[in-house]
Amino acid sequence: MRKTRLAALFAVLLLALASVAVAGCGGGSDSTSGGGGSETSGGGGGEPLSVGSDIPYPPFEQGKPGNYTGFDIELMEAIAEKIGRKAEFQDTSFETIFRDVQQGKFEAVISAATITDEREKAVDFSNPYYLSEQAVLVKEGSSIKSLEELEGKTVGVQQGTTGQELAKEEIGGAEIRPYPEGPDAVNALKSGTVEGVVIDAPVAQNAVEKSGGVEIAEKVPTEEEYGIAVGQGETELLEEINQGLKEVQEDGTYKKIYEKWFHLEPPKAIFSATHEAE
Amino acid sequence: MSEFFHQYFDFTIMGDHFSEILEGFLRNLLLFAVAVVLALLFGLFLALLRQLPGKKFMPLRGLTIAYIDVFRAIPLLIILFLISGGVPYLNFLPKDIRIPHWFGQPDPFWYAVVALTMVYGAYMAEVYRAGIEAVPGGQVEAARSLGMSHGQTMRHIVVPQAVTKIPAPMLNEMISLLKDTTLASVIAYSESLLLGREVLAETFNSSAVMLSGLMFLVVVLPLARLVDYLIKRNQGKITRGSHIEVA
Amino acid sequence: MAEAMIRLQGICKRFGHLEVLKGVDIEIAKGEVVCILGPSGSGKSTLLRCVNLLAPPEEGEVFIEGHDICKGPGSGSGEDSWELDFVRQRVGIVFQQFNLFPHKTALQNVTLAQEKVLGRSGEEARAKATELLERVGLGDQLRQYPETLSGGQQQRVAIARALAMDPHVMLFDEVTSALDPELVKEVLDTMRKLAEEGMTMMVVTHEIGFAREVADRVIFMDDGVIVEEGPPAEVLENPREERTKQFLGLVLER
Repeated sequence: MRKTRLAALFAVLLLALASVAVAGCGGGSDSTSGGGGSETSGGGGGEPLSVGSDIPYPPFEQGKPGNYTGFDIELMEAIAEKIGRKAEFQDTSFETIFRDVQQGKFEAVISAATITDEREKAVDFSNPYYLSEQAVLVKEGSSIKSLEELEGKTVGVQQGTTGQELAKEEIGGAEIRPYPEGPDAVNALKSGTVEGVVIDAPVAQNAVEKSGGVEIAEKVPTEEEYGIAVGQGETELLEEINQGLKEVQEDGTYKKIYEKWFHLEPPKAIFSATHEAE
Repeated sequence: MSEFFHQYFDFTIMGDHFSEILEGFLRNLLLFAVAVVLALLFGLFLALLRQLPGKKFMPLRGLTIAYIDVFRAIPLLIILFLISGGVPYLNFLPKDIRIPHWFGQPDPFWYAVVALTMVYGAYMAEVYRAGIEAVPGGQVEAARSLGMSHGQTMRHIVVPQAVTKIPAPMLNEMISLLKDTTLASVIAYSESLLLGREVLAETFNSSAVMLSGLMFLVVVLPLARLVDYLIKRNQGKITRGSHIEVA
Repeated sequence: MAEAMIRLQGICKRFGHLEVLKGVDIEIAKGEVVCILGPSGSGKSTLLRCVNLLAPPEEGEVFIEGHDICKGPGSGSGEDSWELDFVRQRVGIVFQQFNLFPHKTALQNVTLAQEKVLGRSGEEARAKATELLERVGLGDQLRQYPETLSGGQQQRVAIARALAMDPHVMLFDEVTSALDPELVKEVLDTMRKLAEEGMTMMVVTHEIGFAREVADRVIFMDDGVIVEEGPPAEVLENPREERTKQFLGLVLER
């Protein structure tokens, strides 16, 4: 008799937990490997446009579900509005993000993603929307002043990024530590477990300004271009996005967003940068 | 369906990255080897502390029980982050301890060792306790009546019998520990899962991660069967009051 | 007569709220064999456990060979008090459930405490163990593990194990109650021999026959107190108290 009662209690408990979980997730869309809901934070009506992004990665994307913000986020919202859609963001992990958009988990990806040949095997990229480079981030007052000086040291990077590739190729004998999220690498730098971090320059700059205690040792001009990714063959959507981007650039919205997040004027080159899909 | 195989069983990708993933898996095994020994010892230590008799040891017993409760309740992953994220800042410790690089193993390795030991030590302490409590109390009475001290009784009567009763549940814990070494991937320890995910990022294909899983399968499956066999054998035996619950 | 071997004065013992012993006084002289009878729950086994401090009394004094081993409530329960050593090296006990060490041979059961507690050498211990096991009739079972021995044999090993410590007093806690009837005799015979050799014995038992033939004194306990005591002829054949009569009537009916 006791055993059945115990089993019943257990079942009730499990049911209670399950219903709380379901209630909590109600309203959100399917979860991705990053978890979190999908919400819009800007105006604009129209059919939702699902957009994947690896959050956080300040200043490009940050914030909490329902309250995402950042350069990529605002830019994408503006572009979506231009094409009569409403951007809805899904947090996802960076290393699967290209495969995910290829599989149709979401329609587009904006995630400070550099256009590379490798990635083009799986996705199609829009025209570049940001010109970037890598930076070497070190602790304030560190004696390391360049990429080469990281030789033989522990270097933090984010998994699956161009920063990781750069570090692997250019730094001899370094112990590369691939972290799941960009901010993890920065934290490791601050705590002293790694001696340098190779990461996108704007992200490094943001870390210097916002979290403090770190400084940029060197900027490595890799002439990277960020693009918005869509599944391969989604030519119609890609054209729309390119068109939207162009309009956002032409009417000054792009400049406004850019200056808001980077406190700089956008480089002239970005306005004419194009990219041939495939 | 063929897409399924392509995503998970692309043999070309598995072949190309086999030695890489294998190297990573060896690092899982290394982490396991070190952590499991420490956890077994630490768990025994906790279990014996918990057994100390008498009023004067009550605070020690209480602390031990509290420790076991806490570390069985908080998820290993959280403990891992607390250690790797917090310990480097504990400035009262020398740098060599805060950010260990002993025996050529990087700090994530050691943070993982500590986390695994602290958590699995607690679980193993409970397994030991079950074993100890399964030794009939009458024998302890007899030993004490013969004049043997608590320590002697534990050493000659209780523990030797307790350890024969625990292989099955203990092996279960050890298998769990082996699988949990993959958690170290989140603090950038380059074991097989992390490497598999890197291949995933490069190739947009999960076969390398699957390969890592298969390596675990090859090692764990025989062990799991061994556990089943031991449990069966234990149940079939007619020993005085010695049936243990597999936790 | 010299100081009594065992003297219990005003023993009270509680388990939680349950009062098991409600004021017991006993004196046992050297060489005396005392049998304690009574229904279950009367506190007989608890009394034995008070004597060797397995369950120290809350109130009362226990004197062994004149030494107070229980200086006040619960003080004898200290793990490192000298009283514990003193007591356990003078008082041997045999349990109802034998409590042999199953992972040791019969010989090892008897040598273990000798070596670890008394510090005897392996040789010395083995010699003594062999002698004792032969005395209880198990000289050919030295290398056997308890699980291959019958209940009666195991109990005799337990007796030998206790004797190996050269106790001055032997306590027997219903040592035949768990045995099949045909095995009871061999154990009782061993106990009888021990009594004849002059051992001071406190025996809790249901074996009336044994009490009648071997005991110097019989004590009847009920409900935590001593109801009646005296020579076996008196207590067993002509009990004074009503409760004693009742109990004996029930027991003898078996």
